[in-house]
Amino acid sequence: MLVYLLKRITHALPVAFGVSVVCFLLVHIAPGDPLTSVLPPDASAQLQAEMRRIYGFDRPLPVQYGLWAMKALQGDLGTSIATGRPVATELGKAIGNTLMLAVLATLIGFILGSLFGFVAGYFRGSWIDKLASFISIIGVSVPHYWLGMVLVIIFSVQLNWLPATGAGPGGSDAWRWDWAHIRHLILPAVTMSVIPMGIVARTVRALVADILSQEFVSGLRAKGLLDFGVFRHVVKNAAPTALAVMGLQLGYLLGGSILIETVFSWPGTGFLLGQAIFQRDLPLLQGTILVLALFFVTLNMIVDIVQAMLDPRVQRA
Amino acid sequence: MSAAASIAAMAAIEKSPGYWSGVLTRLRRDPVAMVALAVVLALILMAIFAPWVAPNDPYRSSMIRRLRPIGTPGFPLGTDELGRDMLSRLIYGARLSLLMGVMPVIIAFFVGSAIGITAGFVGGRVNTVLMRTIDVFFAFPSVLLAIALSGALGAGIFNGLLSLTVVFIPPIARIAESVTTGVRKIEYVEAARASGASGFTIVRVHVLGNVIGPIFVYATSLISVSLILASGLSFLGLGVKPPEPEWGLMLNTLRNAIYVQPWVAALPGVMIFITSVSFNLLSDGLRSAMDLKA
Amino acid sequence: MSAAQGMSAAPGGSLAAGPLLSVHGLTKHFPIRSGLLGRGSVVVRAVDGISFDVTEGETLGIVGESGCGKSTTARLLVDLITPDSGEIRLANRRLGADMTVRDLRRDVQMVFQDSYASLNPRLTMEDAIAFGPMINGMAERQATNLAHDLLSRVGLEPRRFAGRYPHELSGGQRQRVNIARALAFSPKVVILDEAVSALDKSVEAQVLNLLSDLKSELGLTYIFISHDLNVVRYMSDRVMVMYLGEVAEIGPVDSLYSNPAHPYTRALLAAMPSMDPDRRTEEAPLSGDPPNPINPPSGCRFHTRCAHAAPVCSSAIPNLSRLRAERHLAGCHMLVPGSGHPEAAAEARP
Repeated sequence: MLVYLLKRITHALPVAFGVSVVCFLLVHIAPGDPLTSVLPPDASAQLQAEMRRIYGFDRPLPVQYGLWAMKALQGDLGTSIATGRPVATELGKAIGNTLMLAVLATLIGFILGSLFGFVAGYFRGSWIDKLASFISIIGVSVPHYWLGMVLVIIFSVQLNWLPATGAGPGGSDAWRWDWAHIRHLILPAVTMSVIPMGIVARTVRALVADILSQEFVSGLRAKGLLDFGVFRHVVKNAAPTALAVMGLQLGYLLGGSILIETVFSWPGTGFLLGQAIFQRDLPLLQGTILVLALFFVTLNMIVDIVQAMLDPRVQRA
Repeated sequence: MSAAASIAAMAAIEKSPGYWSGVLTRLRRDPVAMVALAVVLALILMAIFAPWVAPNDPYRSSMIRRLRPIGTPGFPLGTDELGRDMLSRLIYGARLSLLMGVMPVIIAFFVGSAIGITAGFVGGRVNTVLMRTIDVFFAFPSVLLAIALSGALGAGIFNGLLSLTVVFIPPIARIAESVTTGVRKIEYVEAARASGASGFTIVRVHVLGNVIGPIFVYATSLISVSLILASGLSFLGLGVKPPEPEWGLMLNTLRNAIYVQPWVAALPGVMIFITSVSFNLLSDGLRSAMDLKA
Repeated sequence: MSAAQGMSAAPGGSLAAGPLLSVHGLTKHFPIRSGLLGRGSVVVRAVDGISFDVTEGETLGIVGESGCGKSTTARLLVDLITPDSGEIRLANRRLGADMTVRDLRRDVQMVFQDSYASLNPRLTMEDAIAFGPMINGMAERQATNLAHDLLSRVGLEPRRFAGRYPHELSGGQRQRVNIARALAFSPKVVILDEAVSALDKSVEAQVLNLLSDLKSELGLTYIFISHDLNVVRYMSDRVMVMYLGEVAEIGPVDSLYSNPAHPYTRALLAAMPSMDPDRRTEEAPLSGDPPNPINPPSGCRFHTRCAHAAPVCSSAIPNLSRLRAERHLAGCHMLVPGSGHPEAAAEARP
């Protein structure tokens, strides 16, 4: 196990390095000079050169990368061009909101998806199975930002039950666990949960159907022993894979929350990205993407390690 | 005598149906896939013949007839926030939406297959270098990578296409690599090597035919993701720029209209949804039609 | 006219004095990725310095337990795996010196065990057979005709089988196609790597008979690899016994089966099911699995499982020594007088 752990970590390190290089290069594939957005259009050539030197853009790329990476490792992700505040500060405020939304959405999606998938796999071929398969196809095919809009139309505009945007009354960004705040969380979380739900349902259905087709289980079923023992066996064998899928989905939601956060004006990392794109605030874009991508790499690694702990077969693969 | 005899023999040879004709036969017997195929073909025809199908000019705006409801005479699906005919814009929207959704997957299918098959067939150090690079891009959630790239490159159709292509190359290359690595170890490839065939000939005759099917099915399953992502980029103000009709961009510009004409504002999403479901169902049908053991 | 006939018959014998295929010191070690960074220096000694000759027109059987290096040897002989060291000679031409891999592969063809995996599922039988000749420059029409000829030669009617795909054929039919494909090159040597092992017994007998017929019709030389000692005895003129990448014993089939010299050969033969109650050896059948070829035992590799093991067996590597019968050799200390083994003759006597 320790060997596997070390192996997995040594595999993740070069990937993390590569990810940081890609993020670093984002600013350099952008058309034009990153300085043009901070400098007035009539800035003198001397001022431009001065600023270029201060920002370090006159050095060779590997050196620039080294300096940037050193700073990033110390938590300095640069300064937002639009607000003038450190990117790390902006991120710190946003990341908790996104995490809360993504975790809740993953939980909802996992519970509903497992339920659909389990029932579908257990009664394979029946109308329940077909219905569940249909729902899961819908789940993976629906443009979730549009689904968010439709939910807003129904529950905010038409029924006026839930708020359409924001994370708290009066646009407050201090989260509290009271109804006034939780109301804001419901629609975005439900919208977001549709993505993992479809995928978890598909996975669990396949797992359950596979386990139930094993000979000794069908033997038990033939004897009419459709009891708790069979159920426990299925859950025990399906859990590691299902949990791994859940972990990966959490990662995808963290990175992919931008569209839903934009629809609901949810003040998380995705919303931050949206602002960065809108204002062409490249340092903010770069820093946010770096943090989210590294989060995803780490999460992938943790999922693999946990899965290996639960299921020794994985280690040998 | 032998020439005539062999011609006669050849004429009489019983030919079994090939693999792909079997796939088509099975696909034709799948009603869900056939309906999905019909919808996809209808959408493509609609995109091609948009100028003849659309009742109005999709660009002509009017301040006095903004945001009319569904069922307005002359504007069966209402008008948008600038008074443009929704039906015509939805029909024209199929052009850019399909292009932005399908094109990246097609390009990524060729590039990703080439990378993956090369890595899988050559193996060794070439494999390590190619696949570790692919791993880096694979380490980004697809939405995040698409947004990172097009966010940095800026809005525009070409930048959107480029970003999405880069997003879909890694997953396709990964599948291609693993399928090819599997095929490379099978004896018929060894037998071909033992017959003195060059690596290129072996790939062309023995590898390609056996790996392209699984890669193709996987790529078709990405079209739906790509459509949603492409429209999503336009929804965020990346990708297609106004005033071009594109479903994601239309959703974006109509967002504030949900308080006035909510159902008109939701229409472009219906189009994305129908297209994406159809491609998904078609891909599923293809997947089960290609399973030889079924 | 008659003089010419006489000429061609007489020197033929003297020219064939050298073996058709000759292998010397063939070695292949596979490195194993191990350790954290996959940089371990651990190797599997799959084939470790083996030498043997094959005479034109004979069948050399190779037997041994799974993992003994039989299949690696076969793949080394057609350069599907490149050897670490050792030389391969075909008709006195040395591979790498005056013979290319391409030359070798035209003259030495191989039939694999898995008849299904050996055939590309997307190619019809005629295309599968015609592929080799076509990439070697034959026109498509001609190659297809050749494929049809070969199909009838292996007992498959071209009209029925040429347009079929592998999954439509039975295992025996597929293996006939694989044989036809190997023959498409007019090879001198055909390596049959467990070629009949996966077939039903009745089908196996038919394919073995086909192989015998083809051999005499086309003047082929076979290397017949199998773990089935009965089949090897039926097919072979000489037999080579391999153990953990080395040659334990090699000799004419009758001599080896009636007077096995190496304890390993005796144990293998003891384990062999026989119809004949008189054919028994006192040797105990083998127990357990062969040791790991990553770290083969020192000295004689068989000593960990040998009933006659003595101290010398774990310290000294036995050489192949000549036995009474012609061309019969075995590597065991008991056969070498003065080797230090208690069951060996005390001292070499003149």
